[in-house]
Amino acid sequence: MKNENISFKDMFIKGAVIFNPVLVQLVGLCPAVAASTSLVNAAVLSVVLCADLIITCLLASALLKKVPRWIRVPLYLLIGIAIICPVLWIVETKTLTTLSLGMKIYIPLIAVNSVTAVHCEQFSVKNSVKLAVYDAAAVGIGSSIVLILVGALRELLGASSLGGVTLDLPVAFKGMLLPFGGLVILGFVAAALRAFIAEKYPAYLEESGPVVKKPENAAPKPQPAEESGEVEEVELFDEFWTSETVETPAEKEPEPQPKPELSSQEKIRWESQRDIEEFFKSLGLDSDESGVDKQ
Amino acid sequence: MKMLSDLLMTALYTVFVQNLVLSSGLGMSEAIRVSTKPGTFGKFAVMISGFSVATSALCGVIDSVESVAALPYSLRAAVYAAVLAGVYIVTAAVMKFIFRASAKVLGTLGIAALNTLVLAVPHINNYAAYSFAGSIGSGLGAGIAFVLAAALISKGSQRIAENEDIPAVFKGTPAMFLYVAMLSLAFAGFTDTNIFS
Amino acid sequence: MAVKADNQKRVKVSQIYGDYLIMLAAPCIVAWRYYGARALLVIAVSVLTAELCDLLACLALGRKFLLKDLSNIFIGAAIALMMPSGIPLYVPASAAAFAVLAAKIPFGGSLKAPFVPAAAGFAFASVCFKELVFDYSYNSSGKLLGARSLGALLANGNSVHLNALNTFDILSGNVAGPMGTGCGILMLGCCAYLFVRRRNALLSTAGFIAACAVFSMIFPRINASPLTSAVLELSSGSLLFAAVFLLTDYSSQPVGGVFKIISGALCGIFCMIMRYVGVYEETVCFAVLLTNGISPVLGSAMAKNPFRSSKKTPQNVSTPSQAENK
Repeated sequence: MKNENISFKDMFIKGAVIFNPVLVQLVGLCPAVAASTSLVNAAVLSVVLCADLIITCLLASALLKKVPRWIRVPLYLLIGIAIICPVLWIVETKTLTTLSLGMKIYIPLIAVNSVTAVHCEQFSVKNSVKLAVYDAAAVGIGSSIVLILVGALRELLGASSLGGVTLDLPVAFKGMLLPFGGLVILGFVAAALRAFIAEKYPAYLEESGPVVKKPENAAPKPQPAEESGEVEEVELFDEFWTSETVETPAEKEPEPQPKPELSSQEKIRWESQRDIEEFFKSLGLDSDESGVDKQ
Repeated sequence: MKMLSDLLMTALYTVFVQNLVLSSGLGMSEAIRVSTKPGTFGKFAVMISGFSVATSALCGVIDSVESVAALPYSLRAAVYAAVLAGVYIVTAAVMKFIFRASAKVLGTLGIAALNTLVLAVPHINNYAAYSFAGSIGSGLGAGIAFVLAAALISKGSQRIAENEDIPAVFKGTPAMFLYVAMLSLAFAGFTDTNIFS
Repeated sequence: MAVKADNQKRVKVSQIYGDYLIMLAAPCIVAWRYYGARALLVIAVSVLTAELCDLLACLALGRKFLLKDLSNIFIGAAIALMMPSGIPLYVPASAAAFAVLAAKIPFGGSLKAPFVPAAAGFAFASVCFKELVFDYSYNSSGKLLGARSLGALLANGNSVHLNALNTFDILSGNVAGPMGTGCGILMLGCCAYLFVRRRNALLSTAGFIAACAVFSMIFPRINASPLTSAVLELSSGSLLFAAVFLLTDYSSQPVGGVFKIISGALCGIFCMIMRYVGVYEETVCFAVLLTNGISPVLGSAMAKNPFRSSKKTPQNVSTPSQAENK
């Protein structure tokens, strides 16, 4: 089957770089902004996030396809907490490591991280186990790289140390340890990533550009026949985490298109409103083509 | 009277002095996403406040049980998560089967319930040793803080979208991060510490 | 509408910031008079850093560097004047760099920045170097309270009685504090200049000062008469300086006279609340940033008010007023 032949490398480039969950899709910001104040903290959070993401996506793809969505979503939380809490307990009781209070509190919060919920709902439950694990690994690594980079930079700038080793830097910017410092660093790292994408993958720069919502007076989208039911539900969770309407992807129309006139309402749809489903479509994956069970 | 005062003071503290979204970074992804849908602010405020209050109150009751209070942190965290999941499932079931809520409402309910902000509230209450009224105030404040942050970010996204002079590399998420960073810096005038530091 | 569009084209960054620089000359001279060459060194380092950062950013982004864009000089000088003269030079330098690189360039320049860059720079310095930014011990001999600033006096809640002599010292800036912002008399002069050039911009200043004065009279931090409390609160730190130089910022100021007054008053209330419950001696820059963020939301809310007869739309509320561009 076509979709099963997608390589991990291709998924990694798109999932971790071009559509980086933290820097482009703006999901999973809490660990990056609030908790990644040092390299060690960021590394611990990255490991926990990757483990949670891969195991939850695997289980979602293998077992939860038939479960109604409103029950499935809290199950991700319970699966996550079942993975995280034993690890936390072992670290606290079986080793001599004592985690700081801030660290301890942020680790269980990974269980409700939006990265996991988004990728389980948008990808894992619609695709095979193999692809779900590929996607989770790519996204987990992409998030982890950002967390570790942000953690290292914040520790370096804010505490003049790296990995707990004190460096003899002349100045320490204490404010970088506050959430605002994390956001500033994320801003510049996101700009660097955007410059990198413009250089290496220019075709995707516009694709991650402004998302244009169809004017309200345009032809209405076909409405589902029923207000309730699983088909409708599938669209609804996605609706929040993605933009509703996107112009034709650049891949299909390589010629530069004249920019449509944007009304002020349309302009509100800013660039980071990247449709996550476009990411999956760019991989040639979506629920219609994957051939896996649909609800 | 003291209970009301505790409740109001904690709510105000949670909204302004230690804004849980902008000063503490909790629920930021959801706030940014909600900010693009200004029509949903009220609904989200009610839902997040409701889930925060219910989870805080239940966790407060559970924490008062000596055997639970003596549990290691990891197990208490599991209890808080289970309480949140339970509150969500019960609410969703009531909404679905009794009120015949649409799937859209159920979808919104899931996002409002299962996020870092709501799950963090019982941890904050426990850490700050809030009274029961304080816990309720903290839950209410979480919802208001969320909507305040979403409203501020919403205008930011609009201003960024209308600004054509933004350099190409900063367009979109980089400018958005920096805009939210400035809001976070503004709230840092109230406090110079992280909530759990 | 055509006239408005025409006016929009005539707005020049050098024109806006040229006025500010003319006004800033006086506080710079006062800083030099009170603190000597060290004050000028701090200002020079801050200005040069701002210019250098802008130059490097322009090179990196492939943009044209304009020396006549006077906003960098304003940002650097304003940040320096809000700091003590004895501050290590890396503090104003890093504040100016932050203001230019994080608050100005990413948003398309000074005339498009949603937050006042100088306020962002000073707030950044306050958060990162709290102990240094509020240490006014340098060259404080001969000052009214020695090394103690009015902000510290107010924070301690002492009993205060003013007489003619120390009132003049306070109003002339002969008190330990930020090196170029303490002279209230000078700020009145700056207001007069701005009144001639962009009088509408002063509406925010008026709302701000009125709110701060009323707040400090109703909730005094010291054991003194309401008038004394108001005089001391207004004279402490960089409050008046920010009211004249930061709140009147072209790009972040809201449109409409009433709205300017309301946003100024809101800023004053935020500033005073932060002074009361916050952790910093000087909070006006945080309040300015918060107002920059809240004003557009308030503007939209007011524009949607069905009882309001204005034709302004939510979109144009946050854009700079052309009416004041005389």
